[in-house]
Amino acid sequence: MKQNTPSALYLPGGLLFLGLFVLPMAGLFIESLRFYEPGSIGSAADAPFTLDNYAELLKASFAGFLWQTVKVSLLASVVGIILAFPMAYWIARRLSPQWRSLALGFFVTLMFLSVLVRTYALELTFGATGPFGSILREIGIATNGRGYIQVLVAAGLLHYIIPMSTLTLLGTIQSVDPRLNEAAQVLGAPNWKAHLSVTMPLCMRGVLASFLFGFTFSISAFVIPMILGKGRVLFISNLIYTRFSEIANYPSGAAISVVLFALAMLIVYVLTRLVNRSIQQ
Amino acid sequence: MSGRNIDDLLRFLCKFINIAVVVFLMTPIVVTAIMSLDSRSYLGPLPPPSLSLRWFKAFFSDSYFLSGLATSLKLAVLSVSISLLAGLTTAYALDRSRFRGKDALVSFFLSPLVVPPVVIGFALLLFLSKMGLINGFARLLCGHIIITVPYAIRATLAAMSEIEDTYTEAALILGANERQAFWSVTFPLARAGIVSGGIFAFAVSMDDVAVSIMLTDAKTYTLPIALISSMRANFDLSIAAASMVLMGSTVILIILLEKLVGLNRAMGQGGFR
Repeated sequence: MKQNTPSALYLPGGLLFLGLFVLPMAGLFIESLRFYEPGSIGSAADAPFTLDNYAELLKASFAGFLWQTVKVSLLASVVGIILAFPMAYWIARRLSPQWRSLALGFFVTLMFLSVLVRTYALELTFGATGPFGSILREIGIATNGRGYIQVLVAAGLLHYIIPMSTLTLLGTIQSVDPRLNEAAQVLGAPNWKAHLSVTMPLCMRGVLASFLFGFTFSISAFVIPMILGKGRVLFISNLIYTRFSEIANYPSGAAISVVLFALAMLIVYVLTRLVNRSIQQ
Repeated sequence: MSGRNIDDLLRFLCKFINIAVVVFLMTPIVVTAIMSLDSRSYLGPLPPPSLSLRWFKAFFSDSYFLSGLATSLKLAVLSVSISLLAGLTTAYALDRSRFRGKDALVSFFLSPLVVPPVVIGFALLLFLSKMGLINGFARLLCGHIIITVPYAIRATLAAMSEIEDTYTEAALILGANERQAFWSVTFPLARAGIVSGGIFAFAVSMDDVAVSIMLTDAKTYTLPIALISSMRANFDLSIAAASMVLMGSTVILIILLEKLVGLNRAMGQGGFR
């Protein structure tokens, strides 16, 4: 009975995706190959095709933005998992059911929290003008330095990644039978060794999934580097917006978009394969 | 050092990390809450000498913010309704069909979740301009539909795939037609999933910046866009008040999610504790 679904049911979703996703993405790809006349708004309708927009991205300045995006994103997603794991474990195994629901509510609220609220709150608190800004300056940290701004952007990403990873890992840890760990301890392993050789490998899937979510979130982050980066730390997303809003070079913005799109897809593809492989084992 | 000593050390370390994490997550929110009640007209050191509601009044009497809020609410309600309808038909079709490449089709319908929103916004900007669509609200609506519809599809599909086929079969054997079986069996059983998809989609629409910033114009803008542009202009504390209002609405959404669906269910839960 499963076969006779009227394919008309695919129509509303299919049309929406065609008009708002497939065609725009195809148009983006075509635009990225158009010749751009400096000073004009976007490409001309009959502009010739060229690879110049991509060639421009091979220069060192773009590589710098790319590396900065990847570096800060990697830092945030790895640190996020390290900080979220003990938290998830504590919630899963140490809290009573009432406290566990409360902790769950706390982290879900933090995950749902508007990205604007987070960035504004972090800027207000740890930014150069905030109450912690002056304390940090007193102990010799330059709050307008590039290094500090990078840390601040990573903190912005972490403010989302920690709750998200905690919730992801919570599900994984809850599905690991605690008796396995006890068995290892009965057989003479200290607790840390039991966790390292029993709990951790069984949680690999959740760890990889958290990393996947955290890394793709960070790579495509827009508001966090825009507000906390103060123009000194820019992610690729911000570069695309600048190409559109400041110089109206649409073909170049489109080429950067295609690169960012390809990067995001590559990360999702590789990590999803890793996650699936860890299920099979 | 023996294994048990390492255990104690690690246990202490984990406890320390947990406390540090909660402090890191909560401090900015507490600081913003205090600042939003600050009675001074400038950004001074904490704690403020006296508290007042002036920034909340300033936020709620600012026509720039209020018009953004109205646009945001209209956009969210419209885009979530359209997304839920499209999500319902698509998820039902996907749930009922078996063919090679179905997994690829599911991934396709979920793919806007992993495409960077700025890229979606930029692609839509180019496409809608080429199509001659210049109405600001219509452009924003297009953007909000495509970023919310995957959430509706995902949640509805997850809920529908949990329903045993035998329930629908039983309804059909008892004489219901496909439509009756859908409305009396599938839809009620999937309702919790649809609701959680709608709540996720609503939150995404209300919070979006990256797509909206590409499609907005001088007259039609959402609340996040209004907040961002005044955030960049001057660090005015009515944004702190706005943040508290937004946070309050997040809490209300979560309570709704808990009451209507249950957080454990909405977020997924493992077997052992």
